[in-house]
Amino acid sequence: MRRILAVAKNTFREAARNKVLYSLLFFAVALILSALALGQLSVHEDRRMIRDVGLFGVDVFSVAIAIFVGVNLLYKELALKTVYTILPKPIARWEFVLGKWLGVMATLIAQIVIMGLVLGATLMVQGGWDALDGALAKALWLLLMNVTIVTSVAMLFSSFSSPFLSGLFSLGVFVVGRSIPDVRALGERIGGWAGRAVAAACAVLPNLQLFTPSGSALGAEHVSVHGAFVMASYLGWTTAYAIGYSAVVLACAMLIFRRRDFI
Amino acid sequence: MTDGESGGAGGEDDARAGNANVVLRAVELAKTFHLGFFRRRVDAVRGISFSVRRGEIFGFLGPNGAGKTTTLKMLMGLIFPSSGRAEVLGRPVPDREAKRRIGYLPETPYFYEYLTPEEFLDFAGALCDLPAAVRRRRADGLLARVGLDHARGRPLRKFSKGMLQRIGIAQALMGDPDVVVLDEPMTGLDPLGRKDIRDLILELGRDGKTVLFSTHILPDVEMTCDRVAIVVGGRLRSVGSLAALLSARVLSTEVVLRPARALAGTGPDGGLPPLPPGARRLPGDAEVALELPAEADVDEFLRAALAGGAAVVSVTPRRESLEDLFVRQAVASEGATP
Repeated sequence: MRRILAVAKNTFREAARNKVLYSLLFFAVALILSALALGQLSVHEDRRMIRDVGLFGVDVFSVAIAIFVGVNLLYKELALKTVYTILPKPIARWEFVLGKWLGVMATLIAQIVIMGLVLGATLMVQGGWDALDGALAKALWLLLMNVTIVTSVAMLFSSFSSPFLSGLFSLGVFVVGRSIPDVRALGERIGGWAGRAVAAACAVLPNLQLFTPSGSALGAEHVSVHGAFVMASYLGWTTAYAIGYSAVVLACAMLIFRRRDFI
Repeated sequence: MTDGESGGAGGEDDARAGNANVVLRAVELAKTFHLGFFRRRVDAVRGISFSVRRGEIFGFLGPNGAGKTTTLKMLMGLIFPSSGRAEVLGRPVPDREAKRRIGYLPETPYFYEYLTPEEFLDFAGALCDLPAAVRRRRADGLLARVGLDHARGRPLRKFSKGMLQRIGIAQALMGDPDVVVLDEPMTGLDPLGRKDIRDLILELGRDGKTVLFSTHILPDVEMTCDRVAIVVGGRLRSVGSLAALLSARVLSTEVVLRPARALAGTGPDGGLPPLPPGARRLPGDAEVALELPAEADVDEFLRAALAGGAAVVSVTPRRESLEDLFVRQAVASEGATP
């Protein structure tokens, strides 16, 4: 465990010293703060406006950070050959991949916590303590689960392709994953072999719509974190889905990494 | 293959050294890469076998592209061999226990440039499963040993090439390994940097560590190694001690004379006897430097020169050097390789 944590700590430290991440975080915070101004423009819905725009900011920037960090970290280890110093040490290759993933996740948790605190503070400025409730925490938790999957997918791609392609593939998976019910419906409408191919892709790709902070379709019902629809049980099974999906994807990344020659 | 002592892989050589004395062994290691869109076949290493004994400094020599780094990477578990096997202290690579006993410095090492030497050594120690207190103590000792105590708080991105090589050796030693493998540790260093690394290698040898290092800088090998292996074109050409590998035969004799009177032109005169066949005059003014071939009668020539009034300044027989052997092996390989 010490070896895995050492890699995770080093990965977190690398991300924490990366100026690009601070720029992304700056823009996210700026977007959340701009929600205050947008709230002033709305009629009686200022609190909801701040919350929606703020969660949108957290969502977009946490995914951007997950893809950026996820596709770069493994690749950089190979491109800069730092891995040549690490892997001859008594660490297994799967431990290295797991350590990198944990480091990225620690980075993302820190980023989401910071963005969440800024959003919470923005809501408090507007509406005092009453503006804060459990729904905000639930939405942030779902966004964290969302980037758990996105990070794993990004790391899987980066275990065998360049950052550009990995980024492109990860973004593709994210976009399609966010629209899985629509894509599935499209496949059903097309029918034939093409429809079956779409259905198969939908079965393999992650259903990221489950983690959308507002406006998800759950069963036949439209749910929103602003209401009481998101129960603890929903959080529980989406968390299990995110962890399970990430574990499978990460295991694939480990398998690819395990047989790789470091020329 | 030329063997200074005996079979390279182990065989009689190991039997003589005692198998327990062998700390690192490569047996018929081979690696074929398939590169590019058309999967072009490249045989980087073609069945290399050698063993390194406990406590020796072993030089792994070869020209650029000979397969040295690929072989070392197979020994470190970074590249999987196409065939053959590697063992460290009797355990197959990349077994974790085997890796625990090895310290490795890659060729032109890249480190996490945002880390300070202290942080980097702490990280290297954690990967070796060392507790925090041991990591701290060992890092302090190693930073002092490699002469980087003054730069312990400076990020690695501000390090010179020589400093990076030294921190690279320090990280290789964090796990207190029995075997230290250094890939081209002197490449790109100035003479002072090279001397520092050479001294460090000798110091490791004195501490009882087994050192295997690859290089193509031959003087460093002559000054440090107990035994060497020469690899050319992916094949092992020679393995053994320098004394056993280098021919004791005199290749030529360099004679420096001071003539009785001034020389005219460039030909040997001024009282000098006629040059034996195959001899040539080396550049020089007041003194005459001559290289006499191995078959020349040096005694007879010197007697004639003294009789003509010349003074003998020096007589130096030239035996085969490591460079001669290296070039001979490389040329032989070019002729043999299809």
